[in-house]
Amino acid sequence: MADPAKLELLNRSGDAGGFEIVQIDSLHAYSAYKPRRLPESDWEVTPQPKSADGTRQFVLRNLRQDSYVLLNAGEYFLWNYFDGRHSLEEIGRAFYVAFGAFDYLLIRQLLGKLYGCGLLESKRLLDFQLNRGAMRDSRWTTRLRWNWMKWCALSLRVPHADRVCSLIYQRGGFLLFHPFTFLLSAAAAVCALALALRFGQNASSFAYFLKARPWLISGVMLATLISASILHVLVHALACKAHGRRVRELGFFLLQGVVPTFYADVTDIFMSSRRARVTVDLAGPMVEVVLGSIAIVAAQAVSAGLGQALLFGVGLALWESALLNLYPFNFLEMDGYNILADLTAMPMLRQQALALIPHLPERLLNFKSLARAEWLQLAYLALCLTSVVIYVIVHIDALRALIHFS
Amino acid sequence: MQLVSEFLRNVSFCQDLNEAARSKLAELLISKKISAGAVIFREFDDSDCLYIVKSGRIIISKHVQDQVDIVLTRFHTGDFFGEMGLFDTSPRSATAQTETDSVLLRLDRKAFQQVFSDEPEIAARICYRLVTVFIERLRATNDQAREAIRWGLEATGFSPEPQRSPFGRRST
Repeated sequence: MADPAKLELLNRSGDAGGFEIVQIDSLHAYSAYKPRRLPESDWEVTPQPKSADGTRQFVLRNLRQDSYVLLNAGEYFLWNYFDGRHSLEEIGRAFYVAFGAFDYLLIRQLLGKLYGCGLLESKRLLDFQLNRGAMRDSRWTTRLRWNWMKWCALSLRVPHADRVCSLIYQRGGFLLFHPFTFLLSAAAAVCALALALRFGQNASSFAYFLKARPWLISGVMLATLISASILHVLVHALACKAHGRRVRELGFFLLQGVVPTFYADVTDIFMSSRRARVTVDLAGPMVEVVLGSIAIVAAQAVSAGLGQALLFGVGLALWESALLNLYPFNFLEMDGYNILADLTAMPMLRQQALALIPHLPERLLNFKSLARAEWLQLAYLALCLTSVVIYVIVHIDALRALIHFS
Repeated sequence: MQLVSEFLRNVSFCQDLNEAARSKLAELLISKKISAGAVIFREFDDSDCLYIVKSGRIIISKHVQDQVDIVLTRFHTGDFFGEMGLFDTSPRSATAQTETDSVLLRLDRKAFQQVFSDEPEIAARICYRLVTVFIERLRATNDQAREAIRWGLEATGFSPEPQRSPFGRRST
């Protein structure tokens, strides 16, 4: 690491021309630095429910640029001291008294997070200098990481998403969240389930019709699933509006940099209750459940043949899509995972679990020292791995069956 | 005068001059003794001359706030400063102050302009050397600006690492 940068100052002692030269290195200045957060009118903070290990996290929102940052209890403590009146040295001492230990790295990491979200008063000029500097780094790992971040950030967005969602919500979207709509949907699902069980007896004849027109069936299925997916994210967004929160984005992106999918950015729901978050999470898959139910009920109404088989197939595909979406253990941040993260009050569960992998042998050897939160992370990892293995095995069998059949 | 002419051999902008030219230039210089801590000129003073350090040490600083200046550079024997005053009538851009007892040689703008009109060849040689020095000083200023930014970053904990992906929830 380079030596700390130094500034040489000339301190005048009076009119007689006397002066002294003082050299200040950046580390000395760092401990005397008094970070100043934005004025209180420019941010809001919402405490989250207590997690398994009894700690509480906080979501901090920058109202100026609509960005969010998740703080743990220690970081929240530090944030409260970033009022421009306390130096880092004083803050560190206060932290030590409150928590019994302190490392300047904590402050450095938090400052990085807060600068990144624009929550500290800073010179904008520096952002440009730094970004250019980071790009000049020739290490291939840095470049790879940078490119991966850029790739993951690729997205197509609907302009003015919040305004669009507000309009849709006001012009009838609110009806989706009426208790009567819920009862109607539940009734449709129950009817459809009963019908599906009855249709199960005709599975071979449905398969016959479906195999006869594979291109037509594939096209209809694809179009239905894409349309349902768009409606799915729109209903997530409307549910967010139903709780009076903002929809930041609506669009199309690569989930975890891999799975192309539509999305609604509903981060603002973290400023609301846990119940509100779970409602928003559940609202999306309800679209597939209801549409699937309608398709199966409609299948009953048409005469036996290709139409009936197609409607039944579409209904089942939509239900399966809802189930997949609600399944939390697949390493993807889909609705089921979000519900799990909300219920365990661990909004970064997946990231924390993945970060645990390199330390797994060491942590398992000292398993008695594992905190409850770490047990949850381990359980999540184990269930995800098991699910992926089962998924692969099931699909290998299906592939073999298909090859054998052809 | 002969001594001054000999001394000018070591001054960078006189290095291309022959002895006759140096002697002519030496005639135009005014020697001045200044005690330690004295201000030679202040930032925003009128500027109309260049100084060559015959002996001693000069500190160049720029006002930051209240009684505090930032030290830009130091000049030692054989260095010169205040050269902007030869070409430009704008006020001084920094304060010059002696750090030790010093002897300075002063070259006025009028005298320099006289050299331009009477001895264009000498003037051209001086200007060529001056441009080289300007370039060096510009490079030094760039390094200083970079160092000041690094200082600011380190002092405020600003990390140049790419930021981790911010917290958020995208429902799919």
